[in-house]
Amino acid sequence: MIDRLLEPLQYSFMIEALLVAALVGAVCALLSCFLVLKGWSLMGDAISHAVLPGIVVAYVVGAPLAVGAFLSGLFCAVGTGWIKANSRIKEDTVMGIVFTGLFALGLVLFSKIETDVHLNHILFGSLLGIDRADMIQAVVSGGITLVVIVALRKDLVLYCFDPNQARAVGLHTTFLYYLLLSLLSATIVASLQAVGIILTVAMLATPGCIAYLLTDRFGRMMAIAVTSAVFAAVVGTYISYFINGATGACIVLTQAAVFVIVLFIAPKHGLIANRLRARVSLKENAEPG
Amino acid sequence: MIQELLTPFHYDYMVKAMLVSALIGAVCACLSCFVTLKGWSLMGDALSHSIVPGVSLAYLVGLPFALGAFISGMLAAACMGYIKSATRIKEDAVIGIVFTTFFAAGLLMISLFPSNINLKSIIFGNILGIANPDVVQMIVISVVTLAVVACKWRDLVLYTFDPTQAKAIGLNVHVLHMTLLTLLAATAIAALQAVGACLVVAMLVTPGATAYLLTDRFGRMMVLAMAIGTVTSFTGAYASYFLNGSTGGCIVVLQTALFLIALFLAPKHGIFASRRRGRSQGGASPTTVGAALE
Repeated sequence: MIDRLLEPLQYSFMIEALLVAALVGAVCALLSCFLVLKGWSLMGDAISHAVLPGIVVAYVVGAPLAVGAFLSGLFCAVGTGWIKANSRIKEDTVMGIVFTGLFALGLVLFSKIETDVHLNHILFGSLLGIDRADMIQAVVSGGITLVVIVALRKDLVLYCFDPNQARAVGLHTTFLYYLLLSLLSATIVASLQAVGIILTVAMLATPGCIAYLLTDRFGRMMAIAVTSAVFAAVVGTYISYFINGATGACIVLTQAAVFVIVLFIAPKHGLIANRLRARVSLKENAEPG
Repeated sequence: MIQELLTPFHYDYMVKAMLVSALIGAVCACLSCFVTLKGWSLMGDALSHSIVPGVSLAYLVGLPFALGAFISGMLAAACMGYIKSATRIKEDAVIGIVFTTFFAAGLLMISLFPSNINLKSIIFGNILGIANPDVVQMIVISVVTLAVVACKWRDLVLYTFDPTQAKAIGLNVHVLHMTLLTLLAATAIAALQAVGACLVVAMLVTPGATAYLLTDRFGRMMVLAMAIGTVTSFTGAYASYFLNGSTGGCIVVLQTALFLIALFLAPKHGIFASRRRGRSQGGASPTTVGAALE
């Protein structure tokens, strides 16, 4: 039994996969706390789709794929901001138009070139078959993001909670806005290998929400988010070995399971706690005096 | 030359693909007017991803794919509505969690039970190889959607522009909300076949937004959007024959190109027009990107 459970750890590809998944999960989780508070979850969705043309172009000109992906993700975010500022269309619509336009462009370009990049790997990740260069890319872009977030934590937190206050105390909010977008792009690039374009959104939304249900303090929220994400990444990768299923999907479903459990039993903001509170206050109201 | 341009019309499958795309393009464009004005773009995106597990399950057990897709889409919408109303998490995060969970479940199912469903045809659509029963499903969905919109036109328009007013004059806004959501899910399923899960949202957003830049009247917006949707879908499918590229990609690239043209050149709401207006008003400060970021 124990032998069977330890079996995956005998393979170096499994150990590498577990480490990369944990790192990517941790970085995404840190960022997800900011995104959840700022209401930017779907910006993650948009940027993650928009990296596709960048990857294809980078492949054609021979640049590192991560650079192309990063630039095209950033282009999507900046383009969305610009079109929104210059037209009367709502932000969510603009976002939908820009990222699908870029994704479609990527698809058309992709079908025109001969490449050994597998579209499936970009879309769904290939954690178990990750090669050394991709791993280094993921570690470097994840590491940079981690360092920047930790270093500028206070400024970013203030910017997310209260941009006006942030400006009033002399922070450069435009800089912080672009910084957060750049971090988002970098994180998405790092996690592409692990879970792929579509499920990156989950890594950028779920841990933050799990933590948000459990605590009211931002420092704790970050700690909980990271813990739950690392847990889900490791458990998900592990499960995928045994059931022979898609790794990214297993990670995301583990996160979702944690979210559902927390949704019900969270001590203060959970559904059961809400019910109990409602009943208590009903009773109090019913008893006069 | 002419001969060459006409080649796609010699193939039955191409003609079928172009016609079906045009039909779906029109229906999606019709709904896109409501979606753009209501700010539901991301709901469209979420629904189109959430139907994936339904599709794979339906194929596995041999049911019509539209049925499975519809049930899983509505289930996702119900989950989102419930979690949003019961917790303090913002709507966008709830949408993100629910649709990715559904999508992941679909992916896992496909990876566990490799069958004759091709993941690629769900993600990217496969209009060139569409089977006749699927065409029938799509035609039924399209006709029903258009009929419902036509019958409930006034109510839906009022609900879109002013839900409070709609409620005040005694319309049942819950029913209207659910109707619109149901139509959206049904259309997303139809569009899934043409352009695939990732690009459905473009069909449900871009034509409406383009038309919104060109006119201020809802009726005209609807006509324009449907014209744009039909023409781009037909032409996109046609162009994909020559490009030998993904049909969905071609359709959406065309739609985006039209949107960009309208964005700059639209007579009243285009960027050039508002720049000119800004200048003639004595250099009233044009909106800067920075101001809109906050």
